[in-house]
Amino acid sequence: MATLIERVPPMRWTAGLLRRLGLHGRGLVIAVPFLWLLVFFLVPFLVVGKISVSEALIARPPYAPLLEWDGWRLNIIVNIENFRYLWTDSLYINAYFFSIQVAFVSAVIALLIGYPMAYFIARSPEPRRTFLLMMVILPFWTSFLLRVYAWQGFLRSNGVINNTLISMGIIDTPIQMLQTNFAVYLGIVYTYLPFMILPLYANLVKLEESLLEASADLGGRPMATFFYVTLPLSLPGIIGGFMLVFIPAIGEFVIPELLGGPDTLMIGRVLWNEFFSNRDWPVASAVAIAMLVAVVVPIMILRSLQARLTEEK
Amino acid sequence: MMRGGWTLPVLCVLGFVFLYAPILSLVIFSFNASQLVTVWGGFSTRWYGELMRDTQILGAAWISLQVAFFSATIAVALGTLAAFVLMRFGRFRTRALLTGMVTAPLVMPEVITGLSLLLLFVSMEQLIGWPAGRGMTTVTIAHVTFCMAFVAVVVQSRLAGMDNSLEEAAMDLGARPVRVFFDITLPVIAPALVAGWLLAFTLSLDDLVIASFVTGPGASTLPMVIFSKVRLGVSPVVNALATLIILAVAIGVAIATWHIHRRMKEARKD
Amino acid sequence: MIQNAHAASSRPWVAETEPPFLRIQKVTKKFGDFTAVDEVSLDIYRGELFCLLGGSGCGKSTLLRMLAGFEAPSEGRIEIDGQDMAGIPPYERPTNMMFQSYALFPHMTVERNIAYGLLREGVKRDEAMSRVADILKLVQMTQFARRKPHQLSGGQRQRVALARALVKRPKVLLLDEPLGALDKKLREETQFELLKIQETLGITFIVVTHDQEEAMTLSTRIGVMDEGQIVQVGEPAEIYEHPSSRFVADFVGSVNLFEGRISVDEKDRLEIDSAEMGGTIHVGHSTSCTLDQKVWYALRPEKVRLDREEPVGEANRARGMVEEVLYLGGQSIYKIKLDSGKSVKATKPNLLRHEDDAISWDEPAWISWGDTAGVVLTR
Repeated sequence: MATLIERVPPMRWTAGLLRRLGLHGRGLVIAVPFLWLLVFFLVPFLVVGKISVSEALIARPPYAPLLEWDGWRLNIIVNIENFRYLWTDSLYINAYFFSIQVAFVSAVIALLIGYPMAYFIARSPEPRRTFLLMMVILPFWTSFLLRVYAWQGFLRSNGVINNTLISMGIIDTPIQMLQTNFAVYLGIVYTYLPFMILPLYANLVKLEESLLEASADLGGRPMATFFYVTLPLSLPGIIGGFMLVFIPAIGEFVIPELLGGPDTLMIGRVLWNEFFSNRDWPVASAVAIAMLVAVVVPIMILRSLQARLTEEK
Repeated sequence: MMRGGWTLPVLCVLGFVFLYAPILSLVIFSFNASQLVTVWGGFSTRWYGELMRDTQILGAAWISLQVAFFSATIAVALGTLAAFVLMRFGRFRTRALLTGMVTAPLVMPEVITGLSLLLLFVSMEQLIGWPAGRGMTTVTIAHVTFCMAFVAVVVQSRLAGMDNSLEEAAMDLGARPVRVFFDITLPVIAPALVAGWLLAFTLSLDDLVIASFVTGPGASTLPMVIFSKVRLGVSPVVNALATLIILAVAIGVAIATWHIHRRMKEARKD
Repeated sequence: MIQNAHAASSRPWVAETEPPFLRIQKVTKKFGDFTAVDEVSLDIYRGELFCLLGGSGCGKSTLLRMLAGFEAPSEGRIEIDGQDMAGIPPYERPTNMMFQSYALFPHMTVERNIAYGLLREGVKRDEAMSRVADILKLVQMTQFARRKPHQLSGGQRQRVALARALVKRPKVLLLDEPLGALDKKLREETQFELLKIQETLGITFIVVTHDQEEAMTLSTRIGVMDEGQIVQVGEPAEIYEHPSSRFVADFVGSVNLFEGRISVDEKDRLEIDSAEMGGTIHVGHSTSCTLDQKVWYALRPEKVRLDREEPVGEANRARGMVEEVLYLGGQSIYKIKLDSGKSVKATKPNLLRHEDDAISWDEPAWISWGDTAGVVLTR
């Protein structure tokens, strides 16, 4: 490692700088990922926080500076107008609650579809098990955007589903499916289904056959075995899968944008529009801060609780 | 429990139909002669020809591949370091903060990550003049930041499964800590590094939201180009592109499966 | 028991003919509030095979890890061959360790696993390879040199781990439950091989084990540990025949304990009144104790005589009912419930292939023993 650092000039300079800061050995190893995350993950939130309390300007960049030096005094101009605006305009509150609703319902549906699949795969004999697992993972490696696009082709008025139904004579006029909330639920369940199946599978595959046999031996019928043995033991997998669907679904932008209607307002889409369409950086920042407080912080707390619970077990 | 029952296999098959039907229709309609993506107008490969002449898509694909390659590589290096530090260094002063910063990107909505990084880059440019403008560099930095969290998770779980006494044994046999890391730890966790790299590469290649925030003129990534085309309506060229991507992924996964299968067979033979 | 035949010169801990090779002085290790090792002092001599014996969590492994340098003592001092080990990292210590899990590097062949330590020492490749070949011959693994660890059986892995630790010719070899992962039959064979290798190379071995039989067969001396402390150090026969406390007597082998009080205390003999046994116990030696002190008489099952007829004499005998007979092949274990209510174990070798007249269960029987058969314990 030492020789590599000495040979590449930028690495040598960085190493020298860090050494002068009193970092070497252990400290240096900690410092590299730490500084990266500090600069590119933590500091950005301070910047967002700063801009969220600035006034919007038609300028480049489109916001007023927070600190002003008017000759002999430093003025700090804090403008909480943006946050008041979020609170008073029902659009933002509605988008927030709708996002949580969509994410929750989608996660439940994904669980109902994913559980039997994960169970079946976990109980399959070996060559088939690997194959089925690969079949679950494969869609994940293909482009997310293209899979959402595929549903557009399925759901539109002259799309695959409507055409099939009409040619079979079941309906005469196409059903409006694209640009509805239904399409958003469908899209989220579809794209995040592998994320539900994988943790469930990882959990169920560890479930020993002998436990099920013991339950059967003690007189448990299949249903009883499922509810008293399998389900409680797979709870960590259920929680894990649920979180993996629920969390990213809340902030989802692409799916409501491509499959939802103009009134399908999810919070990620609102932020996007605020930034790209209205070019209101301060309000977009305020939305981001509000989202951080109302979504990310509760999730982080939930996750640490979950981690502590599994540790206790 | 499942013996003899038909419910589970049927549910599983239906699940796979749900997963694959849209993908299959993408492929089928990429060979459609008609401009209308959903009406069959006969077999044709004309959209593949048009794709090959579409410099916008090809250019964006090249940019995306470069960004994905560099961000995956840097993310693996940084993510591995972070995982190693958290799993092997015991207590240190900034541990809690580092743990938080490593796990937070996993739950951070992309719009927030994208917006915050853009605002950081703008502020940095004002303050220190770097990065001058936005483009591939800023996209790469952004992707490294959110990918390294995923790499760290993968590597951490591998390190947790690794017998601590392997590293102790190497040290006992006279290897210094840095040597132990390169001789023992790295080779043992190598599968996790490969998995982490592939994951990071895919995440980077797939990302629309973050890239849209932090990129600049002339550095549109492939998802951005696809998104703008798709927003305007269906386009058979996108179907052709999708088919090629699916083909590439399927070949890759098939090779990987075959490889794993062979290794498992070998292990069983011994 | 072989050790009894050792000449005094090969027992430096008796004659103190040479200084100790490894000195542990008042070493304590605390993990937070928990004291894993509590003021342990121990002297170990060159060429010894010393066993640290104790149950799980008694601190024996922590002590071993402190010798290897993986843990630093909270207090106290460790000295190997006159050199203080404080602050010396594992990679600079004259010790090598054989890990309980063997810790063979999964990505390296047997050969490269063993050569690893030599190469880190700066030994030239050719020399390293020839030393690897020698040690492989010693552990009879030559034909497996090119295999990877996952292609070996448990016993083969154990040999490779041993070879890897031995090849650097450490001053002290530390073995953490070296035979723990092997099945019973293989374990017995390997014990003798381990002894042979240790004698051939003359390296000082320190073995951690929870298996008292293993400790008995292998060691020159045993240190019995309990709750972080060394409770007794001695040669195997000493530990077995002269345990210093009820804990040691019970942990090493099987024992019958009778609680009682000293009723006669003379120069060369003692008498103990034991209500638990239901009579008087005569002891043919004296211990440092006072009249009327509460003591325990420890009697090993193989030293108990079992008869139908009433034995002669007044003391060292009791009547009871045979409750259970466990047939073990070479010997049988009898469980006898005395009239006092106490259960006693007695073993009897099965000398004949067929003994129609053997004592069986639900039969009344007498137990008795000589006045040098047991030990008086005050702790």
